[in-house]
Amino acid sequence: MTGLILRRLIQAPLILLVIYTITFLLAWALPGSAVLSDEGRQPPPEVLAAMEAQYNLDNPVAFYFGYLKGVVTALDFGPSFRYPDWTVNDIVASALPVSVALGLSAILIALMIGVAAGVVGAVRPNSFADIATLVIALIGISMPAFVIGSVLLIVFPVWLGIGSVGAWGTIPDMILPAITLSLPFAAYIARLTRMGMIESLGADYIRTARAKGVAERVVILRHALKNAFLPVLSFLGPAAAQAMTGSFVVEKVFNVPGLGQHFVNGVLNKDLFLIMGVVLIYASMLIAFNLIVDILYHWVDPRIEQA
Amino acid sequence: MLRLLAPILLLAGAVALAIIGDRPQPPASYTFLSSADAFTLDPQRMSYDQDMRIAHAIYDGLVRWDPYTFDIIPGVAERWDVSPDGLVYTFHLRDNARWSNGDPVTAQDFRYSWRRALMPDTAANYTSLFFVIDGAREFFDWRSQQLAEHAARPAAERTRAAAQRLRLDAEERFRETVAIDTPDARTLTVTLSRPAAYFLDLCAFPIFFAVHRESVEAWADVDPVTGRIDQRHGWTKPPHLISSGAYKVVSWRFKRDMRLERNEHYWDSASVRSDSVRMVVIEDPSTRVLAFETGAADWNTDVAVDYLGDMLDARARGERHDVHPISRFGTYFWHFNCMPTLTGGRPNPFHDARVRRAFTMSMNKHDIVGKVRRGGEDIATTFVPPGSIPGFDPEGSIVGLPYDPPAARALLEDAGWTRNESGALTDRAGTPFPVVELLASTGAYHDRVALAMGAMWETELGVRTRVVRKETKTYRDDLLRRDYMLARGGWLGDYGDPTTFLNLHRTGDGNNHRGFSNPNFDDLLDRADRETDPQKRMRYLEEAERMTMEVELPILPIWHYATSYQFHPDQLKGLSTHPRLTQYLHYIYKVDPAKADPNPSSPPTKPSGTGVPPVSSKTSDFSAPVSKGQSPQTPPESDASSAMQSSEPTPSAEGAHP
Repeated sequence: MTGLILRRLIQAPLILLVIYTITFLLAWALPGSAVLSDEGRQPPPEVLAAMEAQYNLDNPVAFYFGYLKGVVTALDFGPSFRYPDWTVNDIVASALPVSVALGLSAILIALMIGVAAGVVGAVRPNSFADIATLVIALIGISMPAFVIGSVLLIVFPVWLGIGSVGAWGTIPDMILPAITLSLPFAAYIARLTRMGMIESLGADYIRTARAKGVAERVVILRHALKNAFLPVLSFLGPAAAQAMTGSFVVEKVFNVPGLGQHFVNGVLNKDLFLIMGVVLIYASMLIAFNLIVDILYHWVDPRIEQA
Repeated sequence: MLRLLAPILLLAGAVALAIIGDRPQPPASYTFLSSADAFTLDPQRMSYDQDMRIAHAIYDGLVRWDPYTFDIIPGVAERWDVSPDGLVYTFHLRDNARWSNGDPVTAQDFRYSWRRALMPDTAANYTSLFFVIDGAREFFDWRSQQLAEHAARPAAERTRAAAQRLRLDAEERFRETVAIDTPDARTLTVTLSRPAAYFLDLCAFPIFFAVHRESVEAWADVDPVTGRIDQRHGWTKPPHLISSGAYKVVSWRFKRDMRLERNEHYWDSASVRSDSVRMVVIEDPSTRVLAFETGAADWNTDVAVDYLGDMLDARARGERHDVHPISRFGTYFWHFNCMPTLTGGRPNPFHDARVRRAFTMSMNKHDIVGKVRRGGEDIATTFVPPGSIPGFDPEGSIVGLPYDPPAARALLEDAGWTRNESGALTDRAGTPFPVVELLASTGAYHDRVALAMGAMWETELGVRTRVVRKETKTYRDDLLRRDYMLARGGWLGDYGDPTTFLNLHRTGDGNNHRGFSNPNFDDLLDRADRETDPQKRMRYLEEAERMTMEVELPILPIWHYATSYQFHPDQLKGLSTHPRLTQYLHYIYKVDPAKADPNPSSPPTKPSGTGVPPVSSKTSDFSAPVSKGQSPQTPPESDASSAMQSSEPTPSAEGAHP
């Protein structure tokens, strides 16, 4: 266990370095100028040239190492060209807690819906309840978030007067975006749980448990679900990281001030430091979450030897 | 079971942690929705509308506009004198002007701030507006040169001390060369390099506002490598931000919201109608509309949804009273590439002004505006929005070119292009007219406009057309390299003078993306620059506008921009509808509709404070019925409802200054 954690901690910087290099190459290749904004008045050309010199935009090698040095020595992700009053650190500090709260609540909702639906489906395969959850899962996966989000916005705040539009900061504000974001995950978790449950319900130890006269509720929840849950658990790591950062559309529809928008806008604006900053932070989170899941996995089922 | 619950508990705990500390804000006197957050609250660096809206609320300029008439009224300067030759401006500052920390606002504050704008270090987008001050251009060039020399020195010589010396030298140089003097703390004397009738107008523009020197300098340092002053922006955030205007910023959360509260040190606090203002940033247009409709805000500053056309139709039928289209100080147009050849050395048919005129005259702008854009804006046949600048073309004699396809075909024939028996446009040797390429940036309505324009030209002129869609950055690269035939464009004026538009057509201007060059046109602008008689000066500028809009057509104007506001006129008062479209947030206030004004269309009454603008008839009557189809010569501000909207994701302007 300790070995696993140590190995991962040694791997992490190397993985991050590779990600940094690839991101740098891609971001550098983006068309257009980093200091020139798309619209609006521009400073005189000599000013733009001086800015490019200050940030090493005229020298890719100096830029690559200069930025890396700032990040490693001072955790300084640099200024944003697009938002002169804010540094990348400011932007991430304001957006990351929002994305974490939204992403994790979405995963929480997805777990509750998904596991419940999966268990119901597995206990009575091909029943009405099973088929209904299958259909709902299919909708959850295939319906784009901007459709579900817009429908929820129109039904709840606009028609029924429940909740608010475009606000963020209280728990009620979070419910609709979290549900929208959770649906694809819930659908996937439901299918994973159902599959795992059907498999373990047919296993010998379940027959033994039933033969001993263990109550059906206990058989399902304590004996079967425990094993069926393992694939869900390994899915949770990447899913949590994805939910926390991949919510651009949900952020847009519900006006959530999260991190997802900066991935997209950073690229559109060629805001180099912002792109590098958010990618590095996302990558670190992904690595951390995978590690946490591995630790949990081991703890839930000590039989598993981590390689 | 506990082990199964562990991940869930872990998640719930993390969510709870993330929520703690994120408290909603208390309600304000009124709340408005902005389509984008302020990019910066540093007035010298601003160039976007939403930034300037905040600037007008938290800073006070030497002078200010009456937002309803755009007359100049006193600000920090209680009075001013102008020398007879129009070159020397002397501002007398009032003694009760105070920063929000109680410090007096001094003439030195303005000089310091204007020097910031003129330092290339600041990377101000509007530096060139200051070049009208005597010595300013020289100072800017000198400092650029000084920095370039520093950057060329060996690394060992580029020390912090050396950079610090450069900075002191520059301050000394500024004192010597730039004609801004402060004989005492309450007198500011500015000498211009040429008479510029619009200088007072510039002084009301946020770029010319003063910042609080001490708090700004606390966040400035020098960069040893480049020698530049490295200004960090902690000072623009509360509680560090020291303001001089009606409000102070008490909270600013990036891309979320901003809260302004009354500045108790403001000299003109009698004119402040609302104690607090809240700005909520919602970027998505539909979410903005839904937020307004569910009561989250009192004013949506930009409706800009795809279904705006339907909303305006509902307004015209009298079913909606909350959408208000307001004309703006700008024009949507398409660039004609005017260079002799296109990329790759192909001859450019649009180098010939007759061809540009023909294409302009064969386009039905009414259809584009009414059926494609569907906001019903006023069509544009001129670049300067008619009636927006007092003294410019008061008779409306500049009419531009009419829609006249037969005349257009005659012009083409004159230029050597005729339609052959199969209807295709060819030259005399039978070579077909090149495929007309229309360069549109993606993400807005430009490609739809381009398709409609292309279809009209195919029908009327027999040319083949192709719409080239490019992502904004790439589009902009192409535009700057003049690698296009026709490209979408637009421009919003900055100050109340026709040169804010006409300078775009000057030979070699940084915004002349068309490569247009006409010595006669340049000469007219030069003569206007030298002219001291304001009336004669306007005649030169009218001649220049007529030349470009009736003969040369470097651009194809289509409509004058407009913005649609969303608010209930019986609940929110004090908004201006003047086409220069600037709102002073402290003049706006909410009323209780239950105790509504018996005459809801009457303009707001203002307390008789010193700087309060006179209430004029131009405070719009939002309950007036819609009247469409006004002639373009009618000044747009005379009836706000005539102008329709534009959904540009608009900054203050679209284009680059040199």
